[in-house]
Amino acid sequence: MKKYLFKRILFSIFSLLVVILTVMLLVYSLIDRRVIFQTDDVWNKRSNNERTFYEYTMYQKYGYLELANYTSFIQQKFVALYGDSYTTNEDFKAARNAIQNADKYLDNESVQEFIKTYEEKGYTVTYLEPIKYGNGRTKPGGTGYLIATVEKSMFSRLWSYMKNLFSFESTKDVQDPELTDRYIRIEKDPYNGFYALVGSGTTHKYLVYFDSHFPFMHWNWIHLNLGVSFTKYRGQEITDVITTPTGELMVKETQYPAKVGTDEYVETAIDFHSLTYNNGTLTEAEMENYPDKYTVGTYRTKGLSMLETSFVIGIIATIGAYILGIPLGILNARKKDGLLDKLGMWYIIFIGSVPSLAYIFMFAAIGTKLFNLPYKFANAQVKILAYVLPTISLALPSIGSLMKWMRRYMIDQMNSDYVKFARAEGLSEGEIFRQHISKNAIIPIVHGIPSSILGCLTGAIITERVYSVPGVGNLLTTAVNGHDNGIIVACTVFYTSLSLISVILGDILMSKVDPRISFETKGGR
Amino acid sequence: MSEKVMNEDALFTFVSNDSIESEKIIAPRYSYWKSVFRVFFKKKTNWFLIGLFVLLVLGAFLIPVFCPYNPTENVTRANSFNLSPSAAKAYFAGDGTTLKWIFGTGGQGNSIFYGIWSSAKTSLVLAIICAIINMVIGVIVGAVWGYSKGVDQFMLVVYNIVANVPYILVITVLVYVIGAGFWSFIFALTITGWLAIAYFFRTQVMIIRDREYSLASRCLGTPIPRIISKNIMPFLTSVIVTILATELPSYISMEVFLSYIGVGLSANIPSLGRMIQEAQTGFLVYPWEFWPPVAIAALITIILYVLGQNLADATDPRTHM
Repeated sequence: MKKYLFKRILFSIFSLLVVILTVMLLVYSLIDRRVIFQTDDVWNKRSNNERTFYEYTMYQKYGYLELANYTSFIQQKFVALYGDSYTTNEDFKAARNAIQNADKYLDNESVQEFIKTYEEKGYTVTYLEPIKYGNGRTKPGGTGYLIATVEKSMFSRLWSYMKNLFSFESTKDVQDPELTDRYIRIEKDPYNGFYALVGSGTTHKYLVYFDSHFPFMHWNWIHLNLGVSFTKYRGQEITDVITTPTGELMVKETQYPAKVGTDEYVETAIDFHSLTYNNGTLTEAEMENYPDKYTVGTYRTKGLSMLETSFVIGIIATIGAYILGIPLGILNARKKDGLLDKLGMWYIIFIGSVPSLAYIFMFAAIGTKLFNLPYKFANAQVKILAYVLPTISLALPSIGSLMKWMRRYMIDQMNSDYVKFARAEGLSEGEIFRQHISKNAIIPIVHGIPSSILGCLTGAIITERVYSVPGVGNLLTTAVNGHDNGIIVACTVFYTSLSLISVILGDILMSKVDPRISFETKGGR
Repeated sequence: MSEKVMNEDALFTFVSNDSIESEKIIAPRYSYWKSVFRVFFKKKTNWFLIGLFVLLVLGAFLIPVFCPYNPTENVTRANSFNLSPSAAKAYFAGDGTTLKWIFGTGGQGNSIFYGIWSSAKTSLVLAIICAIINMVIGVIVGAVWGYSKGVDQFMLVVYNIVANVPYILVITVLVYVIGAGFWSFIFALTITGWLAIAYFFRTQVMIIRDREYSLASRCLGTPIPRIISKNIMPFLTSVIVTILATELPSYISMEVFLSYIGVGLSANIPSLGRMIQEAQTGFLVYPWEFWPPVAIAALITIILYVLGQNLADATDPRTHM
């Protein structure tokens, strides 16, 4: 079993890599890269050479190419030669101004050196000639630039992505020579009495801690870095985008870290578990309230993050679907061809064949017209009511498909020999259904449980769009429409990992439920 | 009474013992396809559904010929936008074509009634072409994949990888790169679509391939093409029809879905998805623009699905008893 699992996980990682590579190949080479500037204000404000140079820096930032700039090249060169006073050096001034003269720039030694160095490395050297008016004055943004670029290869892009996917905090994170006491140890959490992993010298003070908020155990120690958004959330980390809660601040009565144990309470929304190191100098109030330099905290909010919103809707719908769908499937199989079974069949046909858009809008119309439920998520007066329609819309198709498969597996089992045997033994129909058929029929259903739970994390595209739910479901579709390569790759990694994990978990769960299923190789083929 | 009593010699005659004739088995002749249609047409609902479907297809292909849909014909008459059926009837009273405005007008004064038929035609053609391409490739690849163990190992790796690339991503990137025309849309839908069919078919082939009668046939030296065509394929006809029954409506749903998220067919091709997408923002205010295309899409998909399922049941030889 262990060996089999190890092989499965290894293969999953391999297929994840290939998937990321394929998607990178699709989005980086097939989609026109200039679209990232369509809504960029900085790009609009700049003109001429400055705009071109800005484009190259953005391409570098978003992983399209490697860029070397002549200005920083000579800066490095002259710092090495003359130290910090290089700016007054005549050679440096000559080298700096050389590229502003399109006729003679090649005469300069540094320019020749720059071109030679980077051409040897395989870079393409581009000279953006200074653009001037007739009277010799430079046009706005028309200063000359000398740059060298090389396109990143697919594999180096994949490698740098994978290298940065996980990052761990260590005691060397804080670059402050004054901090001498560096450690990571388990301490008693003063806020709730549990134990927490506390660090000094790490970015966060609390590395692993517990509190009363979902998911109750929090990890600051490991960071999942899915990449940076290109156009939609310009430069923001995607992990932050989907996990940062929104909404009003949640003020709580609590105590500052240095005041724990005293009777001094304070009303604040700062979450003292989220403290990070302050590199600047502390104010007096901060020195009084905090025992150390970990003083920068984030605020608690009442709202949910994108991921949580999707998950809450998804998980309620999933649980509801299992609670309703499986008993209904069993009931339909027991009273096969009865009235309930016929109704169930029509429901399954309707849900299975009609475009999902059609019935979601149908339920939206029924819910808003007959039950006066809020239609758009943000317009809800009572917040909890906003969740009703999306949850129902999500649960309905799952109920249909669970019902369909449960009924089908039940009917398949009903004709088996062991059922005839049980009947011959004199067991009642109820006993046969409860203890024999249901147990066997549920095995294939169990396989789908992990994927339906983990699938809640990916959100629902149509449902979230129809009700304007601020969830993660439309992240990928809007990213594709907005040509946001960062989000596309991040979503692919996220979705693919979830589906790979859920298939493995489903197999394990199935082998636990049914001892006959084993992944040990028994020889033979 | 002059009743003539026959003796035994007159009642019975000897039959010559023909050894060839005695080998014949006298039973009603079994014809597979005849039985399929006998079982299929025994159900009254199937007659009704076929009739409805023929009407829909005739409507979708004939109405656009006689009443061409022009979405921009009233674009300059702002008063004709978003008219309810009764208002449209009053507004276009001088036109003479009352049927045209039976469902009112859309956001640009376009006729909803003409629109749904032109769109239904696009959706039907799209679904049929996609289904044919995906089914042919899927079934052929699936048959080879299921039969050969070497191919199986390779194809499983391919499947596990391709199945994990989000389907929407592939389609949207392709539509973006090669354009949103009719044929490029079909290309995007079929480039990976056949793989799921092939995978499903492969599992079915594997189940039948290892049955005892198939094994016995192989031991007796039946050549592989004959095993495939005589032993395996008859069992898989119902599987193929079952896949077809779910595939055909799924392309119509897919087009609606993709148009909704903004990567559908280009604007000059009338399609159900585009009509639904254009009407969805005001679906509570202008319900007559929204529900007719939804109803047509739902009707087509339900009919295709139910007919397909019933045909699949009929193609299963076990129902022919």
